Amino acid sequence: MTIADVVKVLNGKLMAGDGTSPRVVGAVVANDLMSDVLLTDADDVLLLTSLASDQAIRTAHIVGAVGVVIHNAKPLSETMIKVANDLGIPLVSSPLSKYDACVKMHDAFLAEARG
Amino acid sequence: MSDYSPTILQGQQTNDDEILAKTPLDAKALGGDSSVVIMELLQRFKVRDVMKRQVLSIPRKATLREAQRILRENHISGLPVSEDGRLYGIISVNDIINGLDHGWMDDTVDMHMASSLVVLEAGMPISFALRYFNNYTYGRFPVLDSNRQLVGIISQRDVMRALLYELSVEIRKLERKTADKVAQPAPPSETHFFRREWAVVHNDLTGAGRAANEIKQLLREKKVDRSVARRIAVAAYELEINICIHSHGGVLVMVISDNAVTITAKDRGPGIPDIEWACRDGTSTANDWIRSLGFGAGMGLSNSKRVADFFEIESEVGKFTKVTCAFNLKKLEAPAGGTAS
Ligand SMILES: Nc1ncnc2c1ncn2[C@@H]1O[C@H](COP(=O)(O)OP(=O)(O)O)[C@@H](O)[C@H]1O
Ligand SMILES: [Mg+2]
Repeated sequence: MTIADVVKVLNGKLMAGDGTSPRVVGAVVANDLMSDVLLTDADDVLLLTSLASDQAIRTAHIVGAVGVVIHNAKPLSETMIKVANDLGIPLVSSPLSKYDACVKMHDAFLAEARG
Repeated sequence: MSDYSPTILQGQQTNDDEILAKTPLDAKALGGDSSVVIMELLQRFKVRDVMKRQVLSIPRKATLREAQRILRENHISGLPVSEDGRLYGIISVNDIINGLDHGWMDDTVDMHMASSLVVLEAGMPISFALRYFNNYTYGRFPVLDSNRQLVGIISQRDVMRALLYELSVEIRKLERKTADKVAQPAPPSETHFFRREWAVVHNDLTGAGRAANEIKQLLREKKVDRSVARRIAVAAYELEINICIHSHGGVLVMVISDNAVTITAKDRGPGIPDIEWACRDGTSTANDWIRSLGFGAGMGLSNSKRVADFFEIESEVGKFTKVTCAFNLKKLEAPAGGTAS
């Protein structure tokens, strides 16, 4: 699943970064605590969070994330969008709740595995 | 209220030959390639690579007395007067001395600051800065970005330090090349040395994390193994955030040598009364504001310790906190005879 697929699955909108990135999501980390996100060992993470701040983007960059999804359509600041563009992190806004977004992602992964 | 707008004098394109002629370094003595190397460095290095990114500043309506306190507490001799990133002037120790002399200490800084400023742009090559230091008597210049926002300050020392480090690396490369030509054995280990420093400002949460992001990028450019680079960046990030939210401000330093990367975070206090308690997982003095930013779960120090190959923390209450994390770049050899059966 690429970031373009994520945008579709989560009924979202790409707010920053390259929406055509070929990178494939390896794991979803749904968390609002950045220290927890930094602790994960997973590669090619998609960060799903309600933390609509620069720190979410900066954290994503540190762990080499494929992209960041802000759920509940939380408003994004201009600086956040700028940081995402500067660091080349695709940033997606989704109207879904954290729970619904997780379920949708899970279903999409299963569908993909079935082929 | 007066709407101050400083006269900003701006640089023009400069002639690097002239600068080379004025630099005390005898380029010719270093051999044929060296002047090329220096020229290349002066162009490749940009003002933003060497400037201090702090920037301490003071609003226009602050008093000379407040300015004096900030200058004294930070051991600096000049302070930008700026609001929302816009630069209005500079207040210097000289202005304070005049103020003391004339009883102006309760006047606002905009009445006595220098507002006719010479500035540099972040994207200018370092040769511009050298030229400016040659042509003006100022010890430092404010740095603006392309949107005319104040993003840093640069002193002669910053430039010299950066150039000296890079030069020593380049000269060693040249020496090695020359040595190769006369078929001498290569030195046993290349002690490549790289050092960079970032100022971290108390409570500057738009800036916090920027140093760690830059560190990650630098490590990628230097082709450091991806998983090691990630561990280094995680520690740098947590330590940078700690300086930002728990201290009065400080610096984050990265040193890359041949076989290790060291991240050091040092601040100006308040220090940690109980280090053992602070390093425990989940202990924190963070407030709601910090938690609203996604930190403050008390995991920063333990996270840094977990990812590092070497971890050390020193602190003195009222003075400083210093955390050092080191990372091996080369795989460690298994200790002899230590294999389990
Ligand atoms: N640079 C520092 N200066 C002063 N106190 C610090 C510093 N770094 C950490 N601390 C103290 O140690 C505690 C634990 O730090 P940390 O493990 O990073 O967790 P957190 O930052 O989430 O509180 C902090 O809450 C703070 O009280
Ligand atoms: Mg912390």
